[in-house]
Amino acid sequence: MNATTPTGPAGGPPLPPGSGPHGPGRPPSHPGPAGTGSGATRVLGVAALAGVALLALYGLVVSPPDVEMGDSVRLMYVHVPAASYLYLGCVVTTVASALWLRRRTPGWDALAEAGAEVGLLFAVITLVTGSLWGRPTWGTYWTWDARLTSTAVLTALLVGYLALRRLDLDPDARSARAAVLGLLLLPNVVIVNRSVEWWRSLHQRSTLVRLDPTIGGDMLVALMVGFVAIGLIFAWLLVHRFRLAWLEQQADRLDLDAALAARRAEATAARAAPPAPGPSSPAPVASPPVPEVPSR
Amino acid sequence: MIAMTHAGYVAAGWLVTFGLVGAYALAIVRRGRRLSRHVPVEERRWS
Amino acid sequence: MWRDATLVAGRDLRVEARSRVTAHQVVPFALLVLVLFAFALDPDRGILERATPGLYWMTVLFSALAALARSAALEEADGVRDAVRLSALEPAGVFAGKALAVAVELVALEVVLGAAVVVLYGAEPAGIGLLAATAAAATVAVASAGTLYAALVSGLRARETLLPLLLLPVLAPVLIGATRAFESALADDPVAGWPWCGLLAAFAFVYSVAGALAYGTLLEGT
Repeated sequence: MNATTPTGPAGGPPLPPGSGPHGPGRPPSHPGPAGTGSGATRVLGVAALAGVALLALYGLVVSPPDVEMGDSVRLMYVHVPAASYLYLGCVVTTVASALWLRRRTPGWDALAEAGAEVGLLFAVITLVTGSLWGRPTWGTYWTWDARLTSTAVLTALLVGYLALRRLDLDPDARSARAAVLGLLLLPNVVIVNRSVEWWRSLHQRSTLVRLDPTIGGDMLVALMVGFVAIGLIFAWLLVHRFRLAWLEQQADRLDLDAALAARRAEATAARAAPPAPGPSSPAPVASPPVPEVPSR
Repeated sequence: MIAMTHAGYVAAGWLVTFGLVGAYALAIVRRGRRLSRHVPVEERRWS
Repeated sequence: MWRDATLVAGRDLRVEARSRVTAHQVVPFALLVLVLFAFALDPDRGILERATPGLYWMTVLFSALAALARSAALEEADGVRDAVRLSALEPAGVFAGKALAVAVELVALEVVLGAAVVVLYGAEPAGIGLLAATAAAATVAVASAGTLYAALVSGLRARETLLPLLLLPVLAPVLIGATRAFESALADDPVAGWPWCGLLAAFAFVYSVAGALAYGTLLEGT
């Protein structure tokens, strides 16, 4: 992804600070390997692209049209894996939230956020491809099918979770609230799915085309390729989103540190000022370096 | 690929899927690049 | 824990008895919504009668949002939050107390709304046992889940808009279950309704436990 990076040990363990060409200094702007990529994610990204190409080959060319659905079955090779990884994203969020509540380390918080956001992306993809498949198959974009309805509710749950995360709040308090909400995500999903399925099954037995008939041959291969390709995409997105969340946490912390340091400098400058009420206003830069220990 | 039934729906679905994924990937990579300028190297444990 | 719960519930209900916010604002609002539904759905064509259970529970849910916002606002005013944290009250007890107070208010609201539905929509009450059990289970479900989610958003500037967004998807199963159970009760077919009542009871149980466990975490952070 970023060609400027000196190709270090691909995906290796964290390097000790200062081992790079940039030294351990802390200037306000940090050059160096930019972004959220690393050797491992580059490999992952290439694999994902290759997977997509293979999926296009199998899904669009090699696999035959379905007997009942015709060519709209080709949407399934994207739709079914996307829906599966949507649920995986929810699992990631709930497990990471639970672990945050246990360990209280920022990494789990970042992982929970990444899982939910990538999950939301896959929820949107699931809904769109599902509707586009339903139009030729059922004759309508939307029907109150159990799976469709519960996916819509799940999307609302994810949107709500991310809305809570986006609020301007003290970082620790936000992590705690998000963790509680994230922990409830998976139970909610289960309850909603069960009840919606039950609700729908009362009214209509199977007016809808069942999707589950035994598929085989090239269609099965295409679906498997879909699972692998979309899974690689999911992993790539999850890793990058996790690192982005990590960067955001660090940047927030550094901003806070910088602000605190600035206030402290102001305070020492103000304390140093009174003895010399001369014409020169106490500029923090000009004031002599006060040792930090004595005062206070 | 000749005479695909529902070709429009299939094309729309695939385009939306990979368009969204691409746009999202681009967005997070760009945000990551911008943010990592403010974070020292030793905090970016993966690089 | 139960002593703490009754303390907190007593406080909330005393505040309500003196301020009458629920009685003077939430209940009239709920009745107004019922009237508005009649405007939206032509009352002469029988749609209203068929949709009565759904409309009833929709009204309860929306009114519950107002009651929950009020309940959470009590916690934010005058440093009550810090006082509760400093007092030795158990978080689980505080949660149970607040949920209990909301539940009591909701029961009162449901009784009034039930009477209004009979008068305005011409609903014929039937299957009282199922109606009462469903209402009880759904009330506990809404009160416990609602109290937990109200605590999640309390103190935030965006809480008025965020609470419905977070809570309504979660309460979707409650709406489904309560509506189905009421439908079958009114149709004099209670056998079909009891499983839904069981679903509501399970939901209420899950959220009561979850809220009691999680409330401490939510209290400790600002």
